[in-house]
Amino acid sequence: MAEQFAEPVRQHLYSLNLGPQHPSTHGVLRVLLTLDGEYIVEADPVIGYGHRGHEKMGENRTYLQFMPNTSRIDYLSGLLYNHGFCLAVEKLTGIEPPERARYIRVICAELNRISSHLLWFGTYLMDLGAFTPFLYCFDDRENILDILDRVSGSRLTYSYCRFGGVTRDIDDVFIEQTRAFVKRLRSRWKDYHNLVTKNVIFIHRTRDVGVIDKDLALRFGVTGPNLRAAGVPFDMRKVEPYEVYDRFDFEIPVGEKGDALDRYRVRLEEMEQSCRIIEQALDQLPDGPYRQERVRLKVKPPRGEVYFAFESARGQTAYYLVSDGSPYPYRCHVRVPSFGNLHCLTEVLRETLVADAISILGSIDIVVPEIDR
Amino acid sequence: MGYWKDIVVGGRSLVEGMRVTGRALFKPVVTVPYPRRRLEMSPAYRGHIELKVFPETGTHGCIACGTCQRVCPSGVIKVQGVKEHARSGKVATHYVIDFTRCSLCGLCVESCPTQTLQFSTEYELAGPSRWDGVVDLVQRMEESRS
Repeated sequence: MAEQFAEPVRQHLYSLNLGPQHPSTHGVLRVLLTLDGEYIVEADPVIGYGHRGHEKMGENRTYLQFMPNTSRIDYLSGLLYNHGFCLAVEKLTGIEPPERARYIRVICAELNRISSHLLWFGTYLMDLGAFTPFLYCFDDRENILDILDRVSGSRLTYSYCRFGGVTRDIDDVFIEQTRAFVKRLRSRWKDYHNLVTKNVIFIHRTRDVGVIDKDLALRFGVTGPNLRAAGVPFDMRKVEPYEVYDRFDFEIPVGEKGDALDRYRVRLEEMEQSCRIIEQALDQLPDGPYRQERVRLKVKPPRGEVYFAFESARGQTAYYLVSDGSPYPYRCHVRVPSFGNLHCLTEVLRETLVADAISILGSIDIVVPEIDR
Repeated sequence: MGYWKDIVVGGRSLVEGMRVTGRALFKPVVTVPYPRRRLEMSPAYRGHIELKVFPETGTHGCIACGTCQRVCPSGVIKVQGVKEHARSGKVATHYVIDFTRCSLCGLCVESCPTQTLQFSTEYELAGPSRWDGVVDLVQRMEESRS
């Protein structure tokens, strides 16, 4: 491939806009491709079409009022972002949530992680031209949404966590449904593997495609499943255990080469690990209050700053909050994983085919509004 | 993988995949033909807010304190109330929400000191005018009672 590409007799370079309105860019992302025939010479992701000013909004409202915004930064893992923001503010103010609330949050967050991965699974395969897996995984995902809808009252933008707890307690029906779901999802792996993982077309479109190796991943700040697929076992839940993650026994799946197939495998394995966490959390779930009562609506953290990193579905996410002692944050910054994940494309997409660009773009699982925020 | 091996193994994988799809044909339907059949909303469903009518008093319990108005992230709520006598507490006369800007976070319901706010389970809320989203909840409550 490289030899064909290296010395063209006559170069006819031309530009192609992939997006901003392209079904495979999942939102409003534009990738400006410079092409030589079917090969990509240069790829330049252009972001900012979905900028809503969430960080600035965070500085103009109280900590609690920013809560609904957090689930809209990354709409596919809204609960994880809620959770992270709660933990950041709790670290800043010193609020201690009750034990039961911690477990409830972890269970819901892991359910949300599975739903995010399932959605990625469906849409990625749809990008590759397989429509049927999309229907199966959305069927599974619908179960999670129903379970979370029962406790949080919302299906996508949850704003479920509160400083010092959660909005509603979980009941026996929730526990029963969650256990049934975990069982059901486990019974589905075989179908998924038969339908997709073993499929020869799928393997040919993903193996050795879009290799993000260890060096490249570390250089661009790639995190999450993309980094783990490159062989680096880095997961915030293990590296700096927050909440009650240190009480669970789970593994960090890693890949070998860091190609699209590895990323696929890592995400599928991660869903299984999330199932394990959920089961253990349900077993250990303590009784008691689900919310700390003495938390004011307008929390006033002491002067200071906090940086809190957690693992969202796409990688290491972090909130940086600076408090000047007033009920409004002085600075509110969100570190999103998709930004680093996307920008390694400038290197990865070089010298690949346009058809592979769609496969690579899908395999890194970006959520564009999260980058633009 | 060799050429022939690729064809044999690959061909078998496609048949396996088709078998999964074939089995799904005989599984129960998971979708609902929406306008003809509706699903029940979950008990926690967060629709737009409405005033709860307490059976003891026969009316809402809003004291127009304005906590919800202050806590709302989008400035959706406007409450007005009057005192009937100099010593009595306030009672809300107007409770206007602009639903078009509401993000359904539920902070108003949580913050209400008299617990007179609740979520409705309505979900078909489209309208041709943007003023369709602006509702006076006190008026709405009275209309629904009469």
